[in-house]
Amino acid sequence: MAKVLFEWDYSSYPGAKAYPNLFKPIQLGNITVPNRIKYAATEDNLNDHNGFITDADVAYMRSRAEGVVGGLCFMQGVYMDEARKGQGYVGQAACWDDKYVEGLKRIADAIHGEKAIAGFQLMDCGRVGAVEVESGHAPSTVPQRLRIFKPMYEMTNAEVKEMVRQHVEAAKRGVDAGFDVMEISGIVGYLISNFLSSYTNRRTDEYGGDIRGRCQSMVEIIQGVKEVCGPDIPVGIRLCSEELLNDVKGNTPEESMETYKIAEEAGADYISCTLGWQESIFPVISRDIPQGNWLYLAKRAKENVKIPIQMAYRLFTPDKPDKAIADGELDFWEMCRSMIADPLMPKKVLEGREDEIRHCVACNLCLARLFRDAPMTCYINPRCAHEHDDNFTPKPAEDEKEIMIVGAGPSGMECAYVAAQRGHEVHIYDKRSEVGGTLLEASQAPYGDEELMTCVNYQKTMCEKAGVEFHLGEEVTEQLIADEMPDTVVLATGPVYPELEGSADNDKVVNVLDVLSGRADVGDTVVIYGNRKPGIGVALFLAKQGKKVTIVGKEKTAGFDVNPSFKWRYMIYLKQNGVMAYNDCDIEEINDGEIIVKTYDGYRFPIKCDTVVVSEREANESLKKIVQAEGIELFVIGDALVPRNLSSAVHDGYRIGLRI
Amino acid sequence: MPVNAEKEITKLWRNLHNAQSEICKTFYRWREVAIEVAGPDAKPMDIALKAAEMMGKDIGKNFLPRLNWLKGEEAFMMNLGRALAGIWVTEGGTAIAEKGENPGEIFIRCTRCPWPTAAKEFGVPMEEVALTRERLFQTILEDVNVFFNINLNIEMLKAIPRGEGEYLLKLYKEN
Repeated sequence: MAKVLFEWDYSSYPGAKAYPNLFKPIQLGNITVPNRIKYAATEDNLNDHNGFITDADVAYMRSRAEGVVGGLCFMQGVYMDEARKGQGYVGQAACWDDKYVEGLKRIADAIHGEKAIAGFQLMDCGRVGAVEVESGHAPSTVPQRLRIFKPMYEMTNAEVKEMVRQHVEAAKRGVDAGFDVMEISGIVGYLISNFLSSYTNRRTDEYGGDIRGRCQSMVEIIQGVKEVCGPDIPVGIRLCSEELLNDVKGNTPEESMETYKIAEEAGADYISCTLGWQESIFPVISRDIPQGNWLYLAKRAKENVKIPIQMAYRLFTPDKPDKAIADGELDFWEMCRSMIADPLMPKKVLEGREDEIRHCVACNLCLARLFRDAPMTCYINPRCAHEHDDNFTPKPAEDEKEIMIVGAGPSGMECAYVAAQRGHEVHIYDKRSEVGGTLLEASQAPYGDEELMTCVNYQKTMCEKAGVEFHLGEEVTEQLIADEMPDTVVLATGPVYPELEGSADNDKVVNVLDVLSGRADVGDTVVIYGNRKPGIGVALFLAKQGKKVTIVGKEKTAGFDVNPSFKWRYMIYLKQNGVMAYNDCDIEEINDGEIIVKTYDGYRFPIKCDTVVVSEREANESLKKIVQAEGIELFVIGDALVPRNLSSAVHDGYRIGLRI
Repeated sequence: MPVNAEKEITKLWRNLHNAQSEICKTFYRWREVAIEVAGPDAKPMDIALKAAEMMGKDIGKNFLPRLNWLKGEEAFMMNLGRALAGIWVTEGGTAIAEKGENPGEIFIRCTRCPWPTAAKEFGVPMEEVALTRERLFQTILEDVNVFFNINLNIEMLKAIPRGEGEYLLKLYKEN
């Protein structure tokens, strides 16, 4: 009889009726998990740089544990060697000594406090490790493809055996700390995946050779960990179903499935199915990949092994995993980024509050930050990684005010609902008849940008539920401000688009918003002025229509404002669509049928074009002086303050919403 | 003001050529520094070859993200040959990669090289110019070989500084 750790009854919840497969129990080893939800282990760089657990990490994990409503909640993977070769993140938790158990116990207790099942993960980062030391360890000495990673040196046979022992010792500490499920990380370029892959394992001893030899260290780890965990603690492993490393002679899909079978034979109680390495040249998890795109890999895994299969990649809404479970293609719905963006996401699904979910926009800022030694941050969730910080929690306002917010874009609406939740009377105005601001146009760009609108949909719901009064189709004027005389005005009006010299009354020069909304006529040969994200978005939008597009911008590189974990994709798409970018340049003249470009060092050259699309933006000064002249408290946020991106707009709005 | 294409291109070209000639000169200036620092017992040839190795190692690292095996061995070797020829082009030379008659064989032919001219200015022996070039290319291959688990070699068959009119290097797969 499988052990039940916490009693849960979902029968009265609407989500359990809408998604019955997500909220039905499953046996994992010898325990019963009441639902199919898992917060997958995710690094957050919130811990002490010596590997000790911090209050910030405990609070971060507690909120995710609340979200899984009784399901599996995994803490980040721990590194296990004192030499720190296996440490891949500066704030990664350590577990190479008993001194770490106390802190780890705090995490297990926090998860248990939410009646969730606490998962512990063993993660030697291998090829992407050694973040704090000069060099790392690997099955073979294979040079790094990306310079940001440290050189790796081949482990001796004795060092491999020691590494296996370290995994087992760390698992024992995880058990002592009170965790209920044990997991081994063997994905994306971490050490176990290095052993499994033909790309990085060239050994000739018992830990190399054919796929069975390359799996030997994994087998020994699974068996050793199983032994210390005993029958009541299930042991799972995360494995690549496809490495996407064909360009460097990585494993074939068949070999990857072989690793699944060998893990099952070795005693694994479940497999978390992933794909791709950090070095893969194919996009896997960004928003240009359709939702549910990778479910076929979970299905293939199910066809190859009998143990439960879990998967996270591009499954942001409950319908797809629910159906996949019903169809026998999946057993667990894993989440990383979607619960970074909204820690209570599955709880809201259960409670029938899906409209209150703040969906991840798959920008990968969280990953970009972690790879650059910065603490976790979410593009659209300002509270993420600040769960422990009282200053980031909305509290009732001491002095309730009447607030006028000008602009119903992401910045204005974020501010509006936060301020309204705190007890203020909030009125939000927009001259347009619909909410969304410039995101209405930005979301027209190709490669998944329509997902950006989930942010606006969430904010609109939250505003409505918080009692924010909308005044759409109403332009705020000096007279309106004088008539209403609010206590506070928040200007979230979005940016203005500068007029290029000589472009007045020139109908060949149009604005990015007019192009994306279809209001402007655009010729076949187009120059986009501005090489930041809006310029790239509109360039791809027009190139997809078959137009010849050239970008001219002042930034040194195109996509200067896009995080590196997403930007590389844009560079590929620009190339694929034949878009040429002249960076470090300005438009000097606009003539009939051409523009003159001037480089930063003074060279001049012409580019033929029928239309110039202005995507450069400037701060919006309108209404500022009027409000100040009335002596009204004033805040300027979002692009109206400094044109940036969606993330800055949301974060500005949230902070000012807390501050008023 | 209309663009005077001839003037813009001339200005750009002149600056490019100046920058290219500085590549060789900078190398030889540093060579002199290294020889002086190393002291009277050091052999200039050893210093030059060591420099070529270090530079080759670094250039090889730059090659890794740009090469891929997806199109098979033949395309891979041709891309590698072009990348090697591209080093000469960047420096102001003229070089191309050509498929050899035998499978797994690429020839890199350079008919104009800025290094011997610069070397003369600094009194560098011509044999040193030829050998450093060969060592540079060989060292580039070291990381490429390990990374892609292959065994490629490169051999210099002709060299301009040896008075043979052109450089000819054979890139081939070793058995």
